[in-house]
Amino acid sequence: MNVDDANDQARFAEVFLPHLVDAFRLARWLAGSRADAEDIVQEASMRAFKSIRGFSGGHPRAWVLTIVRNTSYSWLAKNRPAALVLTEDLDSRARERLEQTAASEDPQTPEAALIAKTEAAEVRKAMASLPALFREVLVLREIHELDYRAIAEIAQVPIGTVMSRLARARRLLIAAMQGGAA
Amino acid sequence: MNVSEQDELLLNAYVDGELDPMEAVRFEQRLGAEPALSAQVEARRALRNALRSDLGEDVPSPDLRRRVMAKLSRRGPGEWLSWRMAASFLIGAVLAGTMSVGLLNDRPGENVAHAVVSAHIRALMAPQPTDVVSSDHHTVKPWFNGKLAFAPTVADLSAQGLPLVGARIDVVGLEPVASLVYSHGKHFISLTEMPNARGTPASVENYFEHGYLAITWSDGGIAYWAVSDAAAGELESFVKLFQTAAAGS
Repeated sequence: MNVDDANDQARFAEVFLPHLVDAFRLARWLAGSRADAEDIVQEASMRAFKSIRGFSGGHPRAWVLTIVRNTSYSWLAKNRPAALVLTEDLDSRARERLEQTAASEDPQTPEAALIAKTEAAEVRKAMASLPALFREVLVLREIHELDYRAIAEIAQVPIGTVMSRLARARRLLIAAMQGGAA
Repeated sequence: MNVSEQDELLLNAYVDGELDPMEAVRFEQRLGAEPALSAQVEARRALRNALRSDLGEDVPSPDLRRRVMAKLSRRGPGEWLSWRMAASFLIGAVLAGTMSVGLLNDRPGENVAHAVVSAHIRALMAPQPTDVVSSDHHTVKPWFNGKLAFAPTVADLSAQGLPLVGARIDVVGLEPVASLVYSHGKHFISLTEMPNARGTPASVENYFEHGYLAITWSDGGIAYWAVSDAAAGELESFVKLFQTAAAGS
């Protein structure tokens, strides 16, 4: 191994490895399973390594998450094409559920109390029912605690799109949780 | 949902702390007057709590880091070097330059280091880090009788400010081994002793695992492992004191 390679590996260890858990969590919610997420993180790490010299030293976490995000979508396209719905249109089932919950909204049952009572397994199920683009903004916002600007950078969309996706994702998730609890 | 699309964006931005202070003040005034709006804000806060507590705990399997590095290393020769570079950087972050350490790589002792550090961590999690509590080495030494196939060295270092707390049996590679516990100020030091299969005296080596330092050496028949989160210099002086006391016993 030459000196350049050694430097690259050292830089990779410094930039990528501290964000391994974050990388895993994003991949896990985009891919749907832990095993797939670990495959994706491995592949993302290869990509990150190859382009480590191009990393300018900005925000390593955002850089890592961008690579993981892109790797997740290409991995899904290749290995789980059926799971990859890269559209913001809801399928008919989700739309129906949304309309039903809107119609049956009970003013006596505050949504917040209902959500607080929802079991972890139901939360996961509701999350899994969302299209990937909505899961993505939710995970980046709520799990990674990133602000709109950072999410826009990682998802490669304007901030306005982040805002509308996030608003919609939350509305959908609340509806799915109410559907599950009812 | 009975709020307008514009209000929905606004309340999401409010929940996310993305409104400027004046916007936030105006929005809070509206929240006080509009229960429908504040119910939506509460729902989103509840959603955040649910997601953070239910999804925020996902962690990858413990060996993912190793597999990631191994995959890079397979790209070419010099695997040990890549490991060493990676490990030294990780350690650098942990130690923040407080001590000088030999660079790590895949060494034969690494599995043992992992086992003794795990045993030390596990012991600290238990209500007490020992199976037998005694500061008297004359009590601790016979306690091991019948539990091990060798007689461990129990050094009395109380005069040097390192009182014995007690002892426990750990298991390393499916074999029972002896662990003495000494206290050093607020830190515990586990001194694990096991038969040395190779039988040859080894030089002192340092291993790092999750912020713990493990120092190992052997006197031929027995391999010793001292583990602690105390500063490296302190653990090193413990090792020297133990070696001196053991040689004199």
